[in-house]
Amino acid sequence: MEVSIPSGTNVIIKTDITKMTNRSIDDSTEINVSSSNKVTVDNVDVFYGNKQALESVSLAICKNEVTALIGPSGCGKSTFLRCLNRMNDTIDICRVTGKILLDGADINDRNIDVVQLRARVGMVFQKPNPFPKSIFENVAYGPRIHGMANSKVGFNELVEASLHRAGLWEEVKDRLDQPGTSLSGGQQQRLCIARAIAVNPEVILMDEPCSALDPIATAKIEELMDELRQNYTIVIVTHSMQQAARVSQRTAFFHLGVLVEDGDTEQIFTNPEHQRTQDYITGRFG
Amino acid sequence: MSDMARFQLSEAKPDLSPKRLRKRYRAEARFRLYGITAIVFAIGVLGILLGSIFTTGISAFMQTEVALDISFDANLIDPGGTRSQDSLLEGNYRKLWRDGIFKIFSEVKGRKQKRDLSKLISRGSDLTLREIVLNDPSIIGTTQRIWVKSSADIDSLNKGKTARNIIESDRKIKNHQMAWFDKLMAEKRVRLTFNSTFFSAGDSREPEQAGVLGATVGSFLTLLVTLSLSFPIGVMAAIYLESFAPKNRWTDIIEVNINNLAAVPSIVFGLLGLAVFLNFFGMPRSAPIVGGTVLALMTLPTIIITGRAALKAVPPSIQEAALAMGASKLQAVSHHVLPLAMPGILTGTIIGMARAIGETAPLLMIGMVAFIVDIPRGLSDPATVLPVQIYLWADAPERAFEEKTSAAIMVLLLFLILMNLAAVILRKKFEKRW
Repeated sequence: MEVSIPSGTNVIIKTDITKMTNRSIDDSTEINVSSSNKVTVDNVDVFYGNKQALESVSLAICKNEVTALIGPSGCGKSTFLRCLNRMNDTIDICRVTGKILLDGADINDRNIDVVQLRARVGMVFQKPNPFPKSIFENVAYGPRIHGMANSKVGFNELVEASLHRAGLWEEVKDRLDQPGTSLSGGQQQRLCIARAIAVNPEVILMDEPCSALDPIATAKIEELMDELRQNYTIVIVTHSMQQAARVSQRTAFFHLGVLVEDGDTEQIFTNPEHQRTQDYITGRFG
Repeated sequence: MSDMARFQLSEAKPDLSPKRLRKRYRAEARFRLYGITAIVFAIGVLGILLGSIFTTGISAFMQTEVALDISFDANLIDPGGTRSQDSLLEGNYRKLWRDGIFKIFSEVKGRKQKRDLSKLISRGSDLTLREIVLNDPSIIGTTQRIWVKSSADIDSLNKGKTARNIIESDRKIKNHQMAWFDKLMAEKRVRLTFNSTFFSAGDSREPEQAGVLGATVGSFLTLLVTLSLSFPIGVMAAIYLESFAPKNRWTDIIEVNINNLAAVPSIVFGLLGLAVFLNFFGMPRSAPIVGGTVLALMTLPTIIITGRAALKAVPPSIQEAALAMGASKLQAVSHHVLPLAMPGILTGTIIGMARAIGETAPLLMIGMVAFIVDIPRGLSDPATVLPVQIYLWADAPERAFEEKTSAAIMVLLLFLILMNLAAVILRKKFEKRW
């Protein structure tokens, strides 16, 4: 059952956001649809029932960059992330308004098929969630449902390439028929990344991909992200300030459902414009 | 931070004295004792039940037979003289075995005495002899020693179920019949063999000729209809309600009503079947197709409820992963959620089937309680089912049906055990860990 998103979804609910934030409404008009913008989010509001989870969020996500979303728990980072591949559709009471453009096309448009959208915008979840099938089948699932190969050899090549790119091939090449759930936590998460990149998405969304992993596995995944951004656009939600600083080129800080500030990672971490950003990254609240 | 100052840490220390410890140990030991008592009680009651069924019913698998020297007289067997099937079917086989027993007791005279004497032998022996002749017509004209079934009363006497020392008027077997039987015993004309009739015959008025095959086939056909209707419908309904249906007032009403249906007494489903299937649609009475449909209605809520529970138990992260890969809702459910929920769904289905196989009340309403001798050959043939057969036999006046009742219960229990075993095996086979 799809969530009822108003047709056209150009309905923008005007709310007095100045009550919530010192960010002026004019900021949203600064968003320019330049060629390097992979995703352009314009004035998005998200409601769970009557509760508003995101207010007038506008953000540009650039191609071949890692964009980190930071902010305290419950600030709407994950909600925002899930808007980008319409995973919020699966929540009955969730309602999204505003414009989200992927390569200039509104993803909430009626003509956009959600299945095709999700093939272009992949996702890796907080908790590793491999299918209870073999490692091979986990990776081959996406290519299979999207008809990306039609021979056993074709699938073998796709699976091998994806596992290579996820840096997992050497560890699992001898046991591709074993269940994906038999791997360690870090390996499972890399398997999920391999599964996501097997369908060659344009954007990869990662929702706290390292929160359940040890530092070694985390380092591997961060390294992987840096490699992957050559080919993909990555958006990552993280609670780790260090991680955001290490892996991302751009950072957006969310607080209480509003996007307080976004910009180059270096600038956000060294010279934030807003006091609240300063407070959060220095650990004064959160 | 200021809150911390307001709440001083209390001075109280945990009481770690041996007294408290002993008290805790005693409480735990007591609890274990209660648990063990409950289990021992339950197993004991079950043991008594099964034991009494077993001891009563085991003798039904054996049957007393009497050896008679039968002269296959062509004039009696083949009145037409053509040796054709039709002619042989017309033969007077009753006279064959009556002559056989009268020959042994040539001293017995008089109509009443002879009638008492023939009561030693099963009246169904006509058919036994006819079967022998039809299988091998060359036997006609010869004299053979044939083992025929004794009557049920003699069978009871032989198995020691009828006490010899109670006064004659309270016995079905009178003194002179007992003497005849003893003479047969002395001549080694009596034996106790495996009762294959019990597994190869339908119901009969004669306990020694009655069997469970008719009821077993009836149960099988009925269950076949039940399964093929309730499983697909139930699973489809469960999947739709759990994964696709919008959560609104209508689905709430449907859910409440399904739960209510699961609690409706089964006889009400029987009345529904009588009113709708028999009276309105004019479907055949006593037929497995109707019985199976009624039981399917009764089983549906069970399958839907357990199916939904099984689907709900699949971690949502699996479905989310599939959706995020660009699978459609249907693909996510059929590729990932349904296979994981299958063991639970199958278990629920088999539990529903096990309930259906033991159901009597709704089938009484649609006429499956009729006395049916023939073994059903199709879904619209008149049939009865095992629990109804048990009910009918338990109700029968002849003492000999008592052991048949218990034996039929044993057959039914065997089926239930096999079904539950299948449930366990299927669950183990399909179970996956995640």
